[in-house]
Amino acid sequence: MSRAVVLGGGFAGVLAAAVLARHADEVVVVEGDRYPSGPRPRRGLPQSHHSHVLVAGGARALEALLPGTVGALLAHGAQLRGLPGDALILTADGWFRRMRTDAHLISCTRGLLDEMVRRRALASGAVTVWEDTRALGLLGDAARVGGVAVSRRGAPPETVRADLVVDATGRRSASPRWLAEIGVRDVEETTVATGLAYATRLYRAPAGLAAAIPAIMLHPGPGPGRPARGATLFPVEDGRWVVTLTGTRGGEPPTDEQGFAAFARALRDPLVADLMAEATPLGLIRPYRDTVNRRRFFERARLPAGFAVIGDAAVAVNPVHSHGMSVAARCALRLGEELTRHGGIGPALFPGLQSALAAEAEQSWRMAVEADGEQAGAGTGERAEGTGAGAAERAGAGTGRDGAPRREPNAFEREIRTRLAQAKLSNPRIAAGLFAAQTLLSDDTATDRPEIARVLSGRPEPLLTSEEAIGQYPGLAAWLRSRLAAATP
Amino acid sequence: MSLRISEAVIWQETGEGVSLYHTETGDFHSLNDTGSRIWKLVASDGEREPVMFKLSREFAGSSSAMSRQIVADVRDFIGTMIEQGLIEEVPSEKAEKAAT
Ligand SMILES: Cc1cc2nc3c(=O)[nH]c(=O)nc-3n(C[C@H](O)[C@H](O)[C@H](O)COP(=O)(O)OP(=O)(O)OC[C@H]3O[C@@H](n4cnc5c(N)ncnc54)[C@H](O)[C@@H]3O)c2cc1C
Repeated sequence: MSRAVVLGGGFAGVLAAAVLARHADEVVVVEGDRYPSGPRPRRGLPQSHHSHVLVAGGARALEALLPGTVGALLAHGAQLRGLPGDALILTADGWFRRMRTDAHLISCTRGLLDEMVRRRALASGAVTVWEDTRALGLLGDAARVGGVAVSRRGAPPETVRADLVVDATGRRSASPRWLAEIGVRDVEETTVATGLAYATRLYRAPAGLAAAIPAIMLHPGPGPGRPARGATLFPVEDGRWVVTLTGTRGGEPPTDEQGFAAFARALRDPLVADLMAEATPLGLIRPYRDTVNRRRFFERARLPAGFAVIGDAAVAVNPVHSHGMSVAARCALRLGEELTRHGGIGPALFPGLQSALAAEAEQSWRMAVEADGEQAGAGTGERAEGTGAGAAERAGAGTGRDGAPRREPNAFEREIRTRLAQAKLSNPRIAAGLFAAQTLLSDDTATDRPEIARVLSGRPEPLLTSEEAIGQYPGLAAWLRSRLAAATP
Repeated sequence: MSLRISEAVIWQETGEGVSLYHTETGDFHSLNDTGSRIWKLVASDGEREPVMFKLSREFAGSSSAMSRQIVADVRDFIGTMIEQGLIEEVPSEKAEKAAT
């Protein structure tokens, strides 16, 4: 009888369990928390109070794992928004025009997403979940993990034998310590600070406007040296909106009523503040600060057979990129492929497994650390801009493509950089490439070079004013006009 | 073979010389005075010989040693530009005409 034990029943954990159930006689998920009775946030998932969007690449992986899930989410009120076709995005370089691309995101509360995914992942009955049960450590030695120690509802530790243990306990995973305890030392870890803090609140949307609005993203303005402040407003199920304000060190969003409203009002455009003012707050303003990019290179360690790490426990990126769940889904899909390729859980599976899982997180990690790290990927002015709020953009100077220090850019260089940065706002091909990479639909972050050459040789498209940008969404524009009319005596 | 500036290159003459942007690699380059002069001659003349001829008249005067040096420098410069994909070699018009 083969048994797989998955530690942590969050997004990555339940998907991994669903995959393992096709290859093991028994699958047990060890979850420290209790699942809520409905689509609600829970204690073990502090980030579940904050906006969570599933980007297109992740939705595709989720469909491959659990067909019909995306349709079910939409049927339960999740909102699909094209990028940038149904999204009003103000970047450091200006407003995006509406353009149809394949890129999109699915927006709903994390509670709904988890419930739908969990229900489907566990539907076959082949997976047993032990709620209220904490994983305490690994059993085995540096050559082979043979099980785990767990505590059910605070009871004394018990041991569970396993042929494969998958750690999916998220950002705060204790795997490096657990491995050290059985003689596997020095799991390399890299962190890249973001300095980014979140504050989030749910709202009941004004009647008529709830689901009719685009996703709204206000990125920080240009210029290094100042705190980067931004906001997002995403429509979610049940006529609600989720508003997240973000700020880097010195510009953290407050969590008191007035401070929250004032922060939104002081952003580069007051749109989110205007919408908040007309909506009904639901519950508290929730802060979140643990946004550091953290990667543990388990694939470089000499991992014991019978052990793997998946999801945030291995690679957790700045949430502003909205990649974590999508990467988790891709990793689960890859786990299934590796299991099939190697004939299930057995000695042939283990040697390359962690590298295969890590490869699925590589693109997201690279994009996140390029945006947040010293190199800032700024050499060409073609930075990643997260689908989230902060998408910390920096002025594109100071480093060459290879990250080598270089002289101050001259006027020509500044002009080309500005035109490149602005080209994405109105050029459908360039925007399609950018959003395909950002939503993990394509792992090619290379830009459409011939199109860039064409754009740079022609006349620049004029930038949209705020009125023009909002005017692309007639329903929203009409609502703002009527609000203004009502306020004018 | 004739020379032409790659279609992937956007360039401009600035106060500091010629500045280039290669849209395929994303690299910026700034040329010094001599490089800028050669670049502009390539843009206008499109052949190695007239570029070398004009430059040695400009800089070498009657010194043949200088002239040889300039020819070598121009050859090196153009070679590097070709390697970097900034300048391309194309069959010369004369040769093409002769072949048809
Ligand atoms: C503020 C914020 C916003 C985000 N927004 C997005 C977004 O828009 N889009 C996106 O794709 N991603 C987003 N993310 C990332 C996303 O939350 C994670 O990538 C995702 O939850 C990772 O899934 P996971 O299963 O690896 O970890 P988690 O979902 O965190 O699950 C870990 C599970 O392990 C359990 N656990 C922990 N320790 C133990 C233990 N010792 N024993 C037993 N169980 C244990 C926990 O209770 C939990 O259920 C965001 C993250 C944050 C912080």
